[in-house]
Amino acid sequence: MSDRTDAKRIAKGLEEPVREAANLAEKFGLEPYPVNYWIVDYDEMNQLIAYGGFQQRYPHWRWGMQYDRQQKQGQFLGGKAFEIVNNDNPAHAFLQESNTLADQKAVITHVEAHSDFFANNEWFGLFADDPNAASMLARHAETIRGYMQDPDIEREAVERWIDHVLCLEDNIDQHRPYAPIETDLADVPDDIDVADLADQLDNLELSEEVKRQVFDEEWLDAQRDDDDVVTFPSEPQKDVIAFLRKHGMQYDEDAEKAVEMEDWQREILEVLRREAYYFAPQKMTKVMNEGWAALWESRMMTDENFAADDEFVLYADHMARVLGSPGLNPYKLGLELWQYVENSENRREVAERLLRVEGVTWRNFGDVVDFEEVLAELEPPDWLVDVPGHLDDLDPEDPRVDADALAAARAGDVDVETYPWKVLTYEGLVERHYSLVKPQNRGFLSRISLEELERISRYMFDDARYESVTEALADVEYARGWDRMREIRESHNDVTFLDEFLSQEFVDENNYFTYEYTYASDDYRVSSTDYEDVKKKLMLQFTNFGKPTVVVQDGNYNNRNELLLAHQYNGIALDLGQAQKVLERVFELWGRPVNLMTIVKEFDEHDIEVAKRRNREPEPRETGKLIRYDGDETSMEDLEWDEVEHLAATDVDYDTKPEDWLA
Amino acid sequence: MGLKDDLERYREVGEQRRQDLSEFIQYGDLGNSRPDEVKIPIKIVDLPEFAYDQRDKGGVGQGEGAQPGDPVGQPQPQPQPGDGDEEGEPGEEGAEHEYYEMDPEEFAQELDEELGLDLEPKGKKVVEEIEGDFTDITRTGPSSTLDFERLFKEGLKRKLAMDFDENYVKEALKIDGWGPSKVFTWARENNIPVSKAWIDEAYEEIPRDERTTWKSLEDMEANVEETDVPARIRRDGVDQIPFRREDERYRYPEIVEKRERNVVVVNIRDVSGSMRQKKRELVERTFTPLDWYLQGKYDNAEFVYIAHDADAWEVERDEFFGIRSGGGTRISSAYELAKRILEEEYPWAEWNRYVFAAGDSENSSNDTEDNVIPLMDQIPANLHAYVETQPSGNAINATHAEEVGRHFGEDSDEVAVAYVTSPDDVVDAIYTILSTEEQ
Repeated sequence: MSDRTDAKRIAKGLEEPVREAANLAEKFGLEPYPVNYWIVDYDEMNQLIAYGGFQQRYPHWRWGMQYDRQQKQGQFLGGKAFEIVNNDNPAHAFLQESNTLADQKAVITHVEAHSDFFANNEWFGLFADDPNAASMLARHAETIRGYMQDPDIEREAVERWIDHVLCLEDNIDQHRPYAPIETDLADVPDDIDVADLADQLDNLELSEEVKRQVFDEEWLDAQRDDDDVVTFPSEPQKDVIAFLRKHGMQYDEDAEKAVEMEDWQREILEVLRREAYYFAPQKMTKVMNEGWAALWESRMMTDENFAADDEFVLYADHMARVLGSPGLNPYKLGLELWQYVENSENRREVAERLLRVEGVTWRNFGDVVDFEEVLAELEPPDWLVDVPGHLDDLDPEDPRVDADALAAARAGDVDVETYPWKVLTYEGLVERHYSLVKPQNRGFLSRISLEELERISRYMFDDARYESVTEALADVEYARGWDRMREIRESHNDVTFLDEFLSQEFVDENNYFTYEYTYASDDYRVSSTDYEDVKKKLMLQFTNFGKPTVVVQDGNYNNRNELLLAHQYNGIALDLGQAQKVLERVFELWGRPVNLMTIVKEFDEHDIEVAKRRNREPEPRETGKLIRYDGDETSMEDLEWDEVEHLAATDVDYDTKPEDWLA
Repeated sequence: MGLKDDLERYREVGEQRRQDLSEFIQYGDLGNSRPDEVKIPIKIVDLPEFAYDQRDKGGVGQGEGAQPGDPVGQPQPQPQPGDGDEEGEPGEEGAEHEYYEMDPEEFAQELDEELGLDLEPKGKKVVEEIEGDFTDITRTGPSSTLDFERLFKEGLKRKLAMDFDENYVKEALKIDGWGPSKVFTWARENNIPVSKAWIDEAYEEIPRDERTTWKSLEDMEANVEETDVPARIRRDGVDQIPFRREDERYRYPEIVEKRERNVVVVNIRDVSGSMRQKKRELVERTFTPLDWYLQGKYDNAEFVYIAHDADAWEVERDEFFGIRSGGGTRISSAYELAKRILEEEYPWAEWNRYVFAAGDSENSSNDTEDNVIPLMDQIPANLHAYVETQPSGNAINATHAEEVGRHFGEDSDEVAVAYVTSPDDVVDAIYTILSTEEQ
């Protein structure tokens, strides 16, 4: 990207960290795509960020907006662009030349973990195994730029069209693989085995709630449904853009009627739809992916001393800023959850061993097990902690030692002072980094609950018994935590991840709580610290990109060619103001009147007054509504309950308000 | 095309998307602005999307010791799963507003447009005399300021005036029986600017035999055509322009008396116990745009903030809108203080003055009639205004605004009275006040 000597000098200095970070990642058991690093200056970095991590995007004001914000943050808040990596094989990552070496190393280690996530998470495979993203986006840019420069097409018309489609950016069917509309879906090789999929889902041990939300029968049916030729959808269709791409028309102002879309309009619909599908997995795995990257970054930077001593303070400062920002921070949530997964998996392993010791049962576990002693036994041996100091003591036969590397190190060919991990194997490293004995986790083992012990012992095979604790601990598989984490990063997304691993212990340890708006005091109040409630709210925030589910219900509503969208109501109402504005946009893509069916919560003014006085919440009345936009004006009318009943979910409840919480 | 283009388009789009000015004044968050910089929010999420109702949605937070029922303040905007995987500062993603920044000048201009106002600030104090354009002229001066163009033009005019058709006059001297005297008389009669001396000299030069070439004047006129001056100049060119000293003019600069358009705005607010939160907010909402407007209109604006209950005291702007005291109300106390401050620091000869007072119209008995109105008469100002902020609209004994209005009359161009019962009224009130001043 640059031939400046500065960049070259910097690149030279980064060659070693780049090479060794990739080596170390591999030692840790990660399998990243190869990463190409580019050195860019501050402006280029801001530009890349504005473009969502790529060098070329279609012309649109929103990139300008992001650039503007980015610059202002840099100017006023000292915002520092740290890292961009995009999902591609090879992955491309960008380093800002003005960053310190400590920052660069942090970025590189972080990037390696992201790249591993891109390469191995199945949700990324839904778009394509080899996305070739940069060139796809450049091609899109070229296409749209072409339309804008076409003298027969008004540039503003193209911009407006893009705006209309972007309003529906999240209204795709992100749980299905992307297939362009031109192609009949029946022709797409369907490599998803449905029976297998149902099994897999069962294995995930998802709550009913999530299954209903995400992987319901309909979804499974849809996977089975090979000839998905939707005339007017026989089943509600979630991919609204696809439906409009197939059946939509444009409204001709002069003719005052709907006319066929122009080719460029169809093409733009498809281009933006494809991009929505490309970016969907990143949105669906933000918590996991960022947490994953932060976790391995910290392992490499801190635990394996990737940050030199003088860089460590800078690095710590950087981490504190990234993780310390206020509000719910997906980076922090992700990191905490991964740490929790690692600890609980390791704890389960230890518990399973200890429960096999003669005389230890789930009931007396807490009384008879001396946790301090257990932790002492689990401590890695000195030579694993201080490798350079014990180089002569290392046993090449030990599975934890990389014999070849050891020989090279003894010959002076490996810098074991800087890279002690080089002479260790994966087995060695899992013990060296064993989570339960780290100072911040030392209470974790002893916190194990009776329920968990009981559950473990109930499913435990009684295949081996140990005479003593020491004997049992000798068999502990130190790799179990990391092995399990890699499995999870393959199959989960944020929703399933949170659903499966968020526990009361986690919520208590990390001080999460839910809050709700209250009419009584006209502000937001803490409503619960119960993990089920926290989970509910997080589900709401991460399911379907945190957006309400709106589907195409009828493309020939009332037999008048009107479009009927339906909001699948889960107890949380729509932002009606925005919904009306979206309808105005959808009208442009349908060409004929558009309708939206939803359920709203209505409050009686009097009830609110009474509620305020009595310090309790007013009861909402749920009412069906039909919002209609006919190209000229918006109207709203009440619907009978039985007309919207099918939209209302009866088995979910996102309300976390306790009965008497304000009393 | 490229990012620069995108940025430009964004600015254009942003301009269209910023909050309407009236809406901003009435309901917007004025607190983000400073006295010298007005920040109008631009909605950052410009494209609508299907989203949850924010209130209904609730959320998740993190913090030690949270107990159900604890207030969490305004919920932190929660970062949404963004697109791309940039890692900037997490948490920044929730920022809801971008601001369109304008200085008070632009604000005043926009408000003029929006409300159809046309306040022309008056110049007051002569701050200096400066040299304007070099438009005045004098007969003497340094040669560098000589107006050569004028000199040339005058010379040319003179030349045109003095010039005559020499050949024609010479031909006249060839008329049989005409001598220099006769020709001179004839030339004079025909406005030919020729001197007797020139004729005498020319006559001498004409050979004797030619002096009888023409039998008569008619004979000459029939044979000789007189060429007029412009035609001759075109034919022969100007061989010499007669530059004369008396045509010389020197330019010198106009002396301009510069009067600074300076203004002092006195903001008076009732801070007594009856002025509750809502009333205070209405005052702030009305006064702040007025301050911006006048600051934008004048070259130099100074502000005096006076708080009063039964007594008055001067305060800083920062505290002005927040103060609450317990005492009673005597509005005249504020006018007494305003009068003193204005007389001491802002002489009427040198300053435009605006005196704005606001309150809920409650005053101690007879104070309005006996003291305030006479004081208002005694304080010369471009404009006096009283803004009544009475959210409920009806208050017994709250008659100050009414009395002032009655005394000065609706058509007064020096005193405005405006009533504000809710933010909806603010823009009207501002219009009432700003459109009152006589132009």
